[in-house]
Amino acid sequence: MTSSAATAAKPVVRKSGALRGQDLGRYTLLIVLLLIVVVTAIGNPRFLSVNNLMNILFQVSALGIVASGQTILLIAGGLDLAVGAALSVAGLATALTIMHTGSVTLGILAGVVSGTVIGAINGMLVATNRATPFIITLGTMTFLQGVAIIMSGGSPINGTGKLFDVFGLGDFLGVPWPVYAMFASVLVMFLVLRFTTLGRYAFAIGGNEEAARLSGIPVRRIKIALYALSGVFVGVAGVILTGILDSGLPSMGTGYELRAIAAVVIGGTPLIGGRGTVIGTLGGVLLLGLVSNSMNLLGVGANFQSAVLGLIITAAVLLQKKA
Amino acid sequence: MNSATPPAIQVRSVTKSFLGQRALDDVDFEVARGEVHGLVGKNGAGKSTFMKILSGAQPPDSGQIIVGGTAFKALNPAEGRAAGIAIVYQNPELHLDLSVAANIFLGAEPRKGFGILDDKAMAARATELLARLGLDLPVNQRLGDLDIADRQQVAIAKAVREKAHVLLLDEPTAALNKAQAEFLFRLIRDLARQGMAIVYVSHHLDEVLAISDRITILRNGRKVAVVEGKSADKDGLISMIVGRTLDAVETHRSERLRADPFLILEGVSSQGGLDNVSLQVGKGEIVGVTGLIGGGANALAAVIGGLDHRDVAGRMMLGGQSYAPRAVREAIARGVLFIPEDMRGRGLVMSLSIAKNISLAALKSLSKMGWLKLSKETGVATEMSERLDLNPRAPSREVRFLSGGNQRKALLGRAIFADGKLFVLEEPTQGVDVESQRQIHDHLRRLADRGATVVFVSTDLEELIALADRILVLRAGRIEQELSPEGLDPQQLLVAIQTQSARSVN
Repeated sequence: MTSSAATAAKPVVRKSGALRGQDLGRYTLLIVLLLIVVVTAIGNPRFLSVNNLMNILFQVSALGIVASGQTILLIAGGLDLAVGAALSVAGLATALTIMHTGSVTLGILAGVVSGTVIGAINGMLVATNRATPFIITLGTMTFLQGVAIIMSGGSPINGTGKLFDVFGLGDFLGVPWPVYAMFASVLVMFLVLRFTTLGRYAFAIGGNEEAARLSGIPVRRIKIALYALSGVFVGVAGVILTGILDSGLPSMGTGYELRAIAAVVIGGTPLIGGRGTVIGTLGGVLLLGLVSNSMNLLGVGANFQSAVLGLIITAAVLLQKKA
Repeated sequence: MNSATPPAIQVRSVTKSFLGQRALDDVDFEVARGEVHGLVGKNGAGKSTFMKILSGAQPPDSGQIIVGGTAFKALNPAEGRAAGIAIVYQNPELHLDLSVAANIFLGAEPRKGFGILDDKAMAARATELLARLGLDLPVNQRLGDLDIADRQQVAIAKAVREKAHVLLLDEPTAALNKAQAEFLFRLIRDLARQGMAIVYVSHHLDEVLAISDRITILRNGRKVAVVEGKSADKDGLISMIVGRTLDAVETHRSERLRADPFLILEGVSSQGGLDNVSLQVGKGEIVGVTGLIGGGANALAAVIGGLDHRDVAGRMMLGGQSYAPRAVREAIARGVLFIPEDMRGRGLVMSLSIAKNISLAALKSLSKMGWLKLSKETGVATEMSERLDLNPRAPSREVRFLSGGNQRKALLGRAIFADGKLFVLEEPTQGVDVESQRQIHDHLRRLADRGATVVFVSTDLEELIALADRILVLRAGRIEQELSPEGLDPQQLLVAIQTQSARSVN
């Protein structure tokens, strides 16, 4: 009794201060990264050219789609480490289907369906087991990496025909199609989070799973639905990346899981869930793209870039703990 | 007790306030070596706060704690442990995946050198220690495989290993059966004989009387008296615990129409602890359920609320139809809303707004094909905030910024909005200020006036008398007594709750 009274008192005393301090902590990294961008822009004027910016958007499009899906999982207190490997599987499913049937439509269907099914299976495993989502999806990630190698037979599946024409080469009003797909993904997730019961349940489960259960929310079913939904985004990303590369590769999704989670966390969604926005995630994605682009322009080597990315992810997580 | 030796632990005029309310007011307290000292008082008397200060979990505002010849203004848990104070909760804080021996020696494991653990030596020393205490526990077994009584013994053995000379026991028998409790009492007496000072906190006055050399009574944060265990009797303790209550508790009981029974239980037993309970509650009725911890009051709430559905035997009817919820959401679908005591851990979603918390259990009524009607939600929340006099009246404010009383109101608002017909509450006003308590009671009465049924579990004597139309006292999972609050004073109610339990103490 006493402790609850005491903790309840705290916000009353320093309400506004606590609020501002927390928000600031959550967005510190965004601010720091923006500074990096400004510095690069001053150092290399080409950085802010329309051409270069469009290039950045194109490069992060698949990541943006995966990260949009991952956002709702983190909000719900979940996590899916298998999205990168699932992206490879979905991409290979697309490429193989196109190779065998010659139908791009069937290829797209194969990619989206395989991504969704994999997500749903991960959701089922997470919802019905006590092990943390981290461990469960680490296991499925390893499994799916193996599946991807088996599917490809170890070499790229080349040639996607029209898919390449659209996503690899095509644009509309000067903007590549994958960029539209990314913004559409963000919009869809924004609508789901704000305007649907599913989105609201995600917030409730992430904020307090027991309270959600006691409010009559079918927690297991919702979790499965959320992982499946994220799987749809992964499937779409797999199709688009296959189109961009004009081939399916067993390693095409490698590293996507960490960059997607990093983007979500940089965007202000806490790892413990209960709050978060997909707009923030989009910010995280764009900043990751801007940073690696600025390192390219400044002539930073690939290995060094990986180290910097690691530092950013670590900083994002550490800053969150404080906030 | 030799008056020449200094007390094992001594507390001098300790005071502690929360939010300007005195939880402890100038309390003196001492326990001699080899003494078992009972600590009693009703809920909110300051027992928990006092134990937290003794164990170092919280600092006092003023006063001193003298232990082992050193005076502390405040202890932190590490200092408390170093000074030889150990606390054992009813659910001991141990590591379930470690063995019994590893738990006892945690942080002081025997080593072979180079930091390598000597498991054999540890097992041997654990066996020896347990034998010395007269305990028969498998030292290499995983602790999680043992029952709660065994875990408690492990916690006590650990305290002995840490050379604790003051042992604080907080409701140690709450989860024990009769035989386990008796074994614990023997252990406590043995430890006292070896010089350990023991502070025994319990609501079971029979146990406290049987085991204690002396008993300190707390009331409203003050020490009322210290009595000798031998000369004390239960009636005397009860009147000191309750105090003089010259003013009858205000009741505001209105004459409500009692329609046909809305909720009927016939011979309901549950794994959670109910034993053949039969009960009828009418529309518009408010039933208070009480008893000692583990007596079955909360088990009853859990069964009615749909939380406990494992092995529930017997028959339940709701509104004339069979009622056997297999999940909370099935109970909610029938209009049965459970409101937990632990609103932070189990009730509210702290990261969400007032509006979103209020609507949570009935989002379906605010949505169409899965799409939310947000403006309607805001309207509903505003209306509910006005109805419940929620402060602040800002539906978009996150609930974590509300006071405890307003958080409880928000939780009640959720249940009302979910079209509750039967409200099942645990400690509905625990931890809230007097004004909020009065308001919450009024809201519950108003709900009943409109035909809703209210079943609430409480250990607050005044609340039971003020709010309930009928009070059920549960013991060992059975309804032991049914009391009318009319003319009942808190002392009589406490006597009823304390009446010699089935688990007698020799």
